[in-house]
Amino acid sequence: MTDTMNDTVVPTIHGSPPHPLREFWGYFSGNHGAVAGLAIIVFVLLMAILADVLAPYAPDMTNTSVALTPPFWQEGGSTSYLLGTDAIGRDILSRLIYGSRLSLAIGIVVVALSVISGVVLGLIAGYFRGILEIFIMRVMDIMLTIPSLLLAIVIVAILGPGLMNAMIAVALVVLPHYVRITRATVISEMSKDYVTAAIVSGAGKLRIMFSEVLPNCTPLLIVQASLGISAAILDAAALGFLGLGAQPPSPEWGTMLADSREFVLRAWWVVTLPGLMILTTVLAFNLLGDGLRDALDPKLKR
Amino acid sequence: MTAITSKTKIALLCTLAIPAAFSVSNAAAKTLVFCSEGSPENFYPGINTTGTSFDVNSQIYSRIVEFERGGTKVGPGLAERWTISKDGKEYTFFLRKGVKWHSNKNFKPTRDFNADDIMFAFDRQWKESNPYFKVTSPNHSYFNDMGMPDLLKSVEKVDDYTVKITLKSQAAPFLANLAMEYAGVQSKEYADAMLKAGTPEKLDQEPVGTGAFMLVQYQKDAIIRFKAFPEYYAGKAKIDDLIFAITPDASVRWAKLQKGECHVMPYPTPADLDTMRKTPGIKVMEQPGLNIGFLAYNVTKKPFDDVRVRRAVSMAINKKSIIDAVYLSTGIAAKNPIPPTQWSYNNATKDDVYDPEGAKKLLAAAGFANGFKTDMWAMPVQRPYNPNARRIAELMQADLAKVGVTVEIKSFEWGEYRKRMQNGEHQTGMMGWTGDNGDPDNFLTTQLGCDAAKPGGGNVTKWCYKPFEDLIKKAVAITDQAERTKLYEKAQTIFKDQAPWFSIAHAVQLTPMRTEVIDFKQSPFGRHTFYGVDIKE
Repeated sequence: MTDTMNDTVVPTIHGSPPHPLREFWGYFSGNHGAVAGLAIIVFVLLMAILADVLAPYAPDMTNTSVALTPPFWQEGGSTSYLLGTDAIGRDILSRLIYGSRLSLAIGIVVVALSVISGVVLGLIAGYFRGILEIFIMRVMDIMLTIPSLLLAIVIVAILGPGLMNAMIAVALVVLPHYVRITRATVISEMSKDYVTAAIVSGAGKLRIMFSEVLPNCTPLLIVQASLGISAAILDAAALGFLGLGAQPPSPEWGTMLADSREFVLRAWWVVTLPGLMILTTVLAFNLLGDGLRDALDPKLKR
Repeated sequence: MTAITSKTKIALLCTLAIPAAFSVSNAAAKTLVFCSEGSPENFYPGINTTGTSFDVNSQIYSRIVEFERGGTKVGPGLAERWTISKDGKEYTFFLRKGVKWHSNKNFKPTRDFNADDIMFAFDRQWKESNPYFKVTSPNHSYFNDMGMPDLLKSVEKVDDYTVKITLKSQAAPFLANLAMEYAGVQSKEYADAMLKAGTPEKLDQEPVGTGAFMLVQYQKDAIIRFKAFPEYYAGKAKIDDLIFAITPDASVRWAKLQKGECHVMPYPTPADLDTMRKTPGIKVMEQPGLNIGFLAYNVTKKPFDDVRVRRAVSMAINKKSIIDAVYLSTGIAAKNPIPPTQWSYNNATKDDVYDPEGAKKLLAAAGFANGFKTDMWAMPVQRPYNPNARRIAELMQADLAKVGVTVEIKSFEWGEYRKRMQNGEHQTGMMGWTGDNGDPDNFLTTQLGCDAAKPGGGNVTKWCYKPFEDLIKKAVAITDQAERTKLYEKAQTIFKDQAPWFSIAHAVQLTPMRTEVIDFKQSPFGRHTFYGVDIKE
């Protein structure tokens, strides 16, 4: 670990400071777990993009004559269905590949929704303070007191089940984290000299908020967002498992898991494989998030 | 033991006392555990419609007449014998004397069962003026769907042990109708006492019946505990305690049965059957089920008001693949609205052919060349006639996508699901029926008749078709079975032609149980009753 660190930090010896990206990569690549996470994410991402090319079958093509075929290495399996088929004869490999599209989309959409609204609310609270801050933060505190999945279920119950509604619900549930992080950083940044300088030189409120303060909050937000993707995927899968998320026939991993519960003793592959996909993807995002935090958080920098 | 001080001995004794007492009584008492699939709606069968509730209420209440155990023959129950007048309109029931009521903490009966209780059983469901008519729910589904309010002319108490029922017209299945669960007799004395106490709903929550088992404890979604009623008129049950361990998940039920945590379970997953048959200590009873699972088209909603659309959708669905994938070896394709074990089954009916091309043409003719969008409701629970509605819905969704019909699958909590479907909120939805008196009328009138097509009625297609209705009305009024068969066969032809349902399958009724269970009889109506069942020590 320290060896690689030294290798990459070497350029500093030659006078000029390294490019920020280069410095970041130096820290980041020192963390093997994070690199592994990144590799897995790139793999899942490619799977999602190339689903049409990679998947041997359409994800919702049923063929009941081959229902519950085991994976190819097991007795009775066939190479035409590499990872076997589910109860109504859909190819599991194809469904998993297409499912990666959904799961990544869920992660990204949820995080985008919550980051954008969270940052705006956090900035407002941190910049203006006063009654506005109290109002926003107390609402967020209330949201934090309710268990996240329960809150998501309540929201879906109101909006009606479906993938889009599930995403909105999850986005709302994770919103308070972004608001709190943004507000805290904004408050601490506001007291810094560069902000005072900007105020003195007559910069407008919006300029200070968005072009002076916000860029300095980004490292923390990036870390939180990368960890947030995994939480979003997990929550959406949980909603899907409860029948409140993606609706059939969409090959969402959580929904696939729920549909095949009854086969847990008889056809392990129908249950295990989507579960493994959720596990690896979520783990990869968590590792990536940890790596990013180590690399970006000024407090943790050596 | 001698090393322990007397103090710890006492403490030890105290902690042992309860389990010891338990095990001692266990040695003497025979306990049967039934892993039931859900909680009952309440303890008043008159407003229930699900097998889940009937399984519970069946143990508690008795009826005027009863089906023989494991059969469809009607025999004496609370009435020892009866006479029917020549014109078939007057039934005189001579009631059994000395039938005792259960008691509970609210109520100690002061009198035996008599004609007043029978009067109450009818009045509560029939007469809006009865103070109990609206208690718990005013929707007496069975009573109404079978056309009882129109059929009954009068119910009279001749003396304390004689009741005379007069009908407006002759009705062949009337006696069998009285043996059905909804006609369970409650105590008039208990009802009056609860009304006086201002808690009429207790009558349906803490039930008092004359049946073989009395309710001891009920915890929603967990457990129902019964005790054999020692003074049951036909003699005490062979088992002493009956426990319903509520276990909604079929694979958990199977795991419990395997480990000996329960003795009998309903509704196994077809996928587990092979393993069950091979497992030592387990036997699987099976018999052709008197049931049907179907997809109902709501004919009051577009585009299913057009018979061509209904036929086209029926043609586009591959029934065989549904039966192969979901029912496995436990279902046979359904072409009629009644099962083949039901007399008057029309063998000549031609089933819908699977023909996506033909379906497309028919849709185009109906003005839907580009298909349309529809919802499809699938129940969230396993039913005797449908092992996995959501999976079937997914298969249908894939089939219908091929002819351009986009299907959105919807599901609600089971109670809500039934209520909304009976109100006709769906476009298409899955439903099913298990016959409960062995008469074809019980399928056709309750599921396809006009009385049941009103909002809230059990006819979920809301299909009210005059020629069909006339035939089944006519058939009910005659007693000659050959004559009735002819009419019912004609009715089935009309049904097939008008296609209000896509009939899916008749499920084989399967009851896995441990080999210790002796003399369990499968009810043709899908009930699970435990009077007469014994357990090997």
